[in-house]
Amino acid sequence: MAAKVCGDMSKQDITVIDYGAGNLWSVISALRYLGCDPKVSGDPDEIMKADSLLLPGVGSFRKAMIVLKEKELDKAIVEVVQIKGNKILGICLGMQLMGTNSSEDGDTVGLGLISRRVDKFTHQEIGSNKIPHIGFDLVHSQLDSSLFKGLQQATDFYFAHSYRMLSAGLSGKVGTCNYGVEFLAAYEQDNIFATQFHPEKSQTNGLMLLKNFLAQ
Amino acid sequence: MVKKRLIFTLLYSDGQFMLSRNFRLQKVGSLEWLQKNYNFSHISYSIDELIVLDVTRGEKKSEEFSENLKKLTESCFVPIAAGGGVSTIKAASDLLRSGADKVVINSALYENNGFINQLASEFGQQCVVASMDIKSSLDGGYQAWSESGNKCHEGSAAMWIDRVAQNNVGELYLNSMDRDGTGQGYDLGLLELLPANISKPIILAGGVGNAAHLAAGLADSRVDAVATAHLFNFIGDGLKQARKSLISSGIELPLWDIQLLEHHLASK
Repeated sequence: MAAKVCGDMSKQDITVIDYGAGNLWSVISALRYLGCDPKVSGDPDEIMKADSLLLPGVGSFRKAMIVLKEKELDKAIVEVVQIKGNKILGICLGMQLMGTNSSEDGDTVGLGLISRRVDKFTHQEIGSNKIPHIGFDLVHSQLDSSLFKGLQQATDFYFAHSYRMLSAGLSGKVGTCNYGVEFLAAYEQDNIFATQFHPEKSQTNGLMLLKNFLAQ
Repeated sequence: MVKKRLIFTLLYSDGQFMLSRNFRLQKVGSLEWLQKNYNFSHISYSIDELIVLDVTRGEKKSEEFSENLKKLTESCFVPIAAGGGVSTIKAASDLLRSGADKVVINSALYENNGFINQLASEFGQQCVVASMDIKSSLDGGYQAWSESGNKCHEGSAAMWIDRVAQNNVGELYLNSMDRDGTGQGYDLGLLELLPANISKPIILAGGVGNAAHLAAGLADSRVDAVATAHLFNFIGDGLKQARKSLISSGIELPLWDIQLLEHHLASK
């Protein structure tokens, strides 16, 4: 069945970075649903040529960074985003990998596209809430956010994570979620976009957000 | 605060989707049938999560199930759990690569703690849904059953639930075999079997016939999610209406606008 395309998404050249971390099927399905024909690649040369990138991921920060480095994908991503200025969307672990470093399985340096470190939720900050934070929860976005265009300022998205970045004092447009502590749920600055939640698992709210990213 | 959830459970057997009544299966139709006559892709916008279980008795064709799962999840943008006879890391990994976010484990819960631990360390504890089939016994208590309701486990259901909950699983799916497919409502008595200090999410299943039954389940503070596997009780826009009534009665379910599909998003 061919998708009816709203806007010309078929011309969008988007590459989903495949580094062996988790479920790519859902994110590819969502992009196809929106009328895109995403490329999937774990080859740094292909990544270097990409117009826009999507960095998905489920699993351990440390393991993921080791793979990104082994395949020299880390350098390719940073070059495409910081030097060529092409856009990127990081999802869940993908967003965390864009941070400066993470304490998961010992301190590991990240891609450094978002000037925040990644740490596990502490019981001190979340009180009686459970770890992992899993399920649909409300995200509060800024009015001028481009990712949340057309959505309510408080919108439900699906989360599944134990580690988080804190949002306080971060420059750029931030979306936040309160889980006893206010943490970074979404981020955008110039060509850099990221969500801690899974837009591909968040019904029409997530499809809308992905469409907004594609339209950037 | 994480929202409560309304879950649809699809039962799959040998290429067909099924209805179950007290664990006796009745064929409904293939995936194509489900999409064509039931518009499942659209119905999926009325749920918060989808569970797909391969309940094929005897030998399961796992590759075919994964293919069906892939096709089904192509147009379902919710978290998906899948299972049915999963007892190896490879089987779990195949499901996770075919659109599933979580793996449902049932019979293996009673045998092999090593396997559950291995699953959790490989994919994370949040990835493991422990599904327990519970049936009342003649003495008025409850017992836990596995292998599609064919094997009764010695000891009380409460003891088994406690044991499983302490294991490396992310959440518990409690299914009433007595109520399964009857439409008489949940057996809320199952909740009395839970250990007092349980901190893992509870999904209640078995017996839903209408929206009031869903509401009764969600109204209990011990319940995080309610599931229904009955394809015909919520036919047409039944599930959509049920969701609407739950939300208007004040139950905190996530909100989204289905109309965005027509107005802003591509549609198939």
